[in-house]
Amino acid sequence: MSLALLPVSAEARIKLAALPDRADTIIRLDHPSATLIEEERVLTLQKGLNQVDFSWEGVSIDADSIRLKLLAPAGRATLLNLSFPPKEASLVWEIHAQEAVEAQVRISYLLHNIDRLITYRGLADKDETRMQLKSFLILRNFSGEDFLKATVFLDGGRSFSQQILHEETKQILLFTKAATPIRKVWTFDAAKLPWDPEKIETNVGIPVTYQVENTPASGLGGSGLWPGKIRVFQEDGHGGAIFLGEDHTGMVPVGEKMEIYIGDSRDLVVTQRKMKEERINIRRNKSGRVVLYDTDEVIRAKLENFKDRAARLTLIQHIPGEWDMESCNVEYKRRDAGALEFEVELAPRSHRELVMHYHRRHVR
Amino acid sequence: MRKTLLFCLAALWLAAPWSAQGKMDLVTLPARESVELTIYNSADLTLARDRRVLTVKKGLNRLQFSWANTLIDPTSLEMLALGHNADIDVLDLIFPPRTNQLGLWRLQSARSARLPVEISYLTSGLSWRAFYLGTLKSDETKMRLEGFVRVTNVSGEDYEEAKVRLVVGKVHLLDRIADLARRAPPYGRPGPVPSMVRPAADESVRREQVMEAKSAMARLQAPARPKEIVKEGLSEYFLYTIEGTETIPHGWSKRLPSFTAPEVPVVNLYKYEEERYGSAVVRFLSFKNDAAHGLGQTPIPGGQLKAYRNLDAAGHLSFEGQSQFKYIPVGEKVELNLGAVEDVLVQARLMNFRTDRYLFDSDGNIDGWNEIRDYEIEVKNTRGIPIRVEVRRNAPSAKWELEKKGDFGTYEKVDLNTVKFTLSLKAGETKRFQYTLTTHHGRRAD
Repeated sequence: MSLALLPVSAEARIKLAALPDRADTIIRLDHPSATLIEEERVLTLQKGLNQVDFSWEGVSIDADSIRLKLLAPAGRATLLNLSFPPKEASLVWEIHAQEAVEAQVRISYLLHNIDRLITYRGLADKDETRMQLKSFLILRNFSGEDFLKATVFLDGGRSFSQQILHEETKQILLFTKAATPIRKVWTFDAAKLPWDPEKIETNVGIPVTYQVENTPASGLGGSGLWPGKIRVFQEDGHGGAIFLGEDHTGMVPVGEKMEIYIGDSRDLVVTQRKMKEERINIRRNKSGRVVLYDTDEVIRAKLENFKDRAARLTLIQHIPGEWDMESCNVEYKRRDAGALEFEVELAPRSHRELVMHYHRRHVR
Repeated sequence: MRKTLLFCLAALWLAAPWSAQGKMDLVTLPARESVELTIYNSADLTLARDRRVLTVKKGLNRLQFSWANTLIDPTSLEMLALGHNADIDVLDLIFPPRTNQLGLWRLQSARSARLPVEISYLTSGLSWRAFYLGTLKSDETKMRLEGFVRVTNVSGEDYEEAKVRLVVGKVHLLDRIADLARRAPPYGRPGPVPSMVRPAADESVRREQVMEAKSAMARLQAPARPKEIVKEGLSEYFLYTIEGTETIPHGWSKRLPSFTAPEVPVVNLYKYEEERYGSAVVRFLSFKNDAAHGLGQTPIPGGQLKAYRNLDAAGHLSFEGQSQFKYIPVGEKVELNLGAVEDVLVQARLMNFRTDRYLFDSDGNIDGWNEIRDYEIEVKNTRGIPIRVEVRRNAPSAKWELEKKGDFGTYEKVDLNTVKFTLSLKAGETKRFQYTLTTHHGRRAD
């Protein structure tokens, strides 16, 4: 990328050898899909009309986004217009100066192929109650431009000084939280998992999730946690660690939970069967056609914990349409009209049974 | 470790553009203190932890790590200073422009010191699997069960004297580690990807490396006894730690004994269910992973079992079949499918069919009826040992009744439309039973 002052009288534009150096450069990464560059330069303007050539051959700039702001001295120069020469990645600004002056300008533009990713690394303790959480910024520059010294801005005003060259990738530690509380959750969703493991050739795993709250109580909560890949490890009690799994987390605003699906448990087994489905309360019209009936349904689920530790299983059951629960031996809460959520404590090496007896209404 | 995995250290006093410095001179090649491999079986994934002692100088230090011809995922690289934490600041990890399979850590040290560090990364190409040999006693009431693990290394890297741990469990992965290892640049690139031609691997170099690896294997001393495998649970996974260290050159596999249970009581279970197995009778070996069966200390990783039977006192064997089975938690029952057999016979015959109890609508059309089927089931054990047979029958309608008679053993309603008869048969015994299934249709189902 180059910036040059041009003699106004020249027929063809001639780039000057003495280029104004970049002063401060800002790489603004607070937008999830666009990178804004702001660079400040000092232009030596002559009295009268000046042409300033800005070219970016080989650099992926969004031409419509280029802006020039005259910073100082105030009121001594005026930006008149800009024009784009044919078949070139360049533009020419025309600036009128009331007198010869060293003008400080800020050029801003959206630059493609330079961005940032966020990654996380969690190290859970052996009891799986707390986690050391690290976040990294991955700065990727494939824009065609070297930034030898730039201030990189993230959201919330966070910034740091960084060099990033063309085709360079950098991993920078953003933060470390030593002991963030985590909650481990096992979830069986009857709409997503097979009901009868015996009929499946492979193990039916119960998804295991860690929940991390983005709150001050968790040592977080300062700002939203950006989306990114998280890899979770666990201390093994022998000075080492094992890898538990990885997930992609969405944006986690302050006060919300980060859900990290790490893997499947094969030591919790849910075997669910429908034991009854009969039509009852049948109403017919005058022609004898059925217009209304209920189905009398019974679901039985055996919940087995083969682990030597207790587990709290979240069980999601679905009853579509209009329904009434006749009896249920485990407390539940409604997630929505058709989904029921059960929280079942399973002691080590134990099993429990859930029996739901309900009627569903059918209108024809 | 093969020369392709290099770890170099250079100390620089001034921060400067990487490109201006060029590649650094090698100041120190620190010796590796230890390496630990945690190998997973549910995915092509291994966590490697490599410990070395660096000599760092006060000021800015640059640490170069390169991994040409290996399957390391560069996005997983992490360096931890194991001592002097307050004096050490890992500034960043740089993947410099126009380089491949090379990373550069910048490390600020408050003083000159010898610094133990741990480099950890995920790699592809190391795997393990469990397999089992079962030997039944001649009366098939007990089985000697031997478990083995086989570790294979095709990672491109020779791991010498590595502490090896094996993980049983299903890990959630977003990407295949092998794909991440081949991706350049490590985190991909924004925007369009330019086309690249990958250089072909130098086969002569590979052959040379294999020969080196073979020499390394030959240097190993034969152990005085089989190694023990320590087992422990972590989170949802089970960890097998192999005693001592192992050298596993690239391209080699190792088989290690996992456990032996000399006398596991087993039940010869034969199953018949037309909807699942057709007309065949399928043989299962059934036992439980618990103390009563000489097991139950750890879960049993899924794998293949080859079952044999002792024929005589001289120890001659017959092959009974093989089964691929699932992970078995402690306390759970397992049924090993040994395949269809012809020495146990089940015949289900429909002996009579009739309809009954019609209902008619106002137009005189039938809109309700029952179907009644009489079945006879014959179960024949032609073997010279007692067996258990499970016969499952499915009703074609949601509303039905069943009347049974004869020697049907135990009866159980499994679910909405499935029932199960379980019979015990002595050697050479035949049993028969009958049942009448009434199914309701149309308005009769209301």
